Amino acid sequence: MYLINDIIAFLAANLILSQALGTSSLFIAANSRKKLVGTAFCILLFTTFGTSCAYIIDSTLPSSAAEFRLLLYTAAVSVFYVIMLTLLYFARPQNHEKLRRYIHLSAFNCAVMGTLFTMSAKAENDSSLLDFGEYVRFGAEAGLGFITAALILTAAYRRLNSSRVPKSFRGGPAMLIYIGIISMAVWSLK
Amino acid sequence: MNERKEPVLAGITTDNAVLSGLMVISPVIICGDTIKNAQALIWAFSIITFLSVVISSFVPKGLPYTIKVISYALISSTIYVPVRAAADVFYPEAIQRIGIYFPLLAVNSLIVFQTEARFFRMGRIRMTASLFFYILGFDAVMLITSLVRELLAYGTINSRIADVDMLISGLKEPFGGFIMLGLMCGLYRKLRSVMRRSESSAEKGDMNVSDK
Repeated sequence: MYLINDIIAFLAANLILSQALGTSSLFIAANSRKKLVGTAFCILLFTTFGTSCAYIIDSTLPSSAAEFRLLLYTAAVSVFYVIMLTLLYFARPQNHEKLRRYIHLSAFNCAVMGTLFTMSAKAENDSSLLDFGEYVRFGAEAGLGFITAALILTAAYRRLNSSRVPKSFRGGPAMLIYIGIISMAVWSLK
Repeated sequence: MNERKEPVLAGITTDNAVLSGLMVISPVIICGDTIKNAQALIWAFSIITFLSVVISSFVPKGLPYTIKVISYALISSTIYVPVRAAADVFYPEAIQRIGIYFPLLAVNSLIVFQTEARFFRMGRIRMTASLFFYILGFDAVMLITSLVRELLAYGTINSRIADVDMLISGLKEPFGGFIMLGLMCGLYRKLRSVMRRSESSAEKGDMNVSDK
C-alpha cells in the first residue's frame, strides 16, 4: 500500500503530467529509444546540477532583485552546458558529434528551467525547503519524472504514429491527447 | 509571387509555432484557461520574442553554435528583466497566476533554437516580417484557446458571465489543456491539408484552361 501511495505521489508530482513542463522535448526524444535514453540522461544531469546552482542563487539573491533570477539561472545552465560539451569532447572524442545533440536538446528547455523555477517557488512558500539537499533531491526527481513520462509516451509512440490514426491527428496531436488522458488519470488519483 | 510570400506568412498559414511546431506549448496548456492570463502572456511573449530575435540577429554568425545559443538565451533573459518590471505594473494579478511560466517564455525554443533554423537564414527585413507573423500565430492560438476554455470551463468571456448551459470544468485543468491543444492541432492540420488540396486543384484547373 505504501508503495502504491509512493508511486501515485511520484506520478502526481511529475512536472510533465501536472505542469506540462518539457513536453516539446519529450515529443522529440520519444521517437527513438536511443534518443530517449540520451536526452533523458542529459535532462537528469541538467536538472540536478541546475537545482544545486539554483540553491546558491536563491540563498544569495535579495528578493528585491528577483527579476534577475532568470538571467542568473540561464548563466548557470550555460556554464554547465559548456562543461558537458567539453567533458564529452575529451571523454568520447569519437562519439562527440553523435552525442552532443542530446546536450543541445537538453540545455535550454522548459523541463530544466521549469524545474529550477518550480523549486524556487516552493522554497519561497516554505522556507524549510531552502536547503541544498532538498534542491538537489527535487532536481533528481524532476529528471526521473521526465524519464517516466518519456517511457509512458514511448509505449504508445508507434501506435500514435501508425496509419490507423487519422492523418491530421497522427503524431503530435495524438500524443498531446494521449498525454492529456494520462494526465487526467494521474489528476484523478491525487 | 506566392513562393516569395509564403515563408513570411508561414507563422500563421502553414507553420504555426504552437499548432505545427509544438513549441511554447506549456504556457498555452497551463495558463491559457482565461483571457486575462492570455493577454498577459501574449503581451510578454510578443515583446520578449520580438526584441530577443531582432537583437540576437546581430550576434556574429561565425561563432560556434553553442556560444550563439548561449548568447540568445542570455539576451532574452536580459530583455525579460524590464518586461517583468513593466508587467508587475500593468498585469499584477495575472503575473501572480502565471507564476513560473512567465520567465519560461524568455527561454522558449523559438528564440533559443529556431532562430538559427528559421529566421537567421533570411534578410533582416524579411526576418522581421516573418517573426511578426510567427508571434501573431502564437498570439492567435493563445487567444482562441483561452476564449474556448474560459467559456466552457468557467462560463465567462473575459470575466463576464456568458449564457452557457453546460460547463466542462476539466478544461481548466492541465489535462484539459493537453486535450484541447491536441484537438486544435488536428483541426489546424486538417484545415491546412484542405487548403493545400484546393490550391493544387485550382492550379490544375488553371493549367487545363491555358492548355486549351
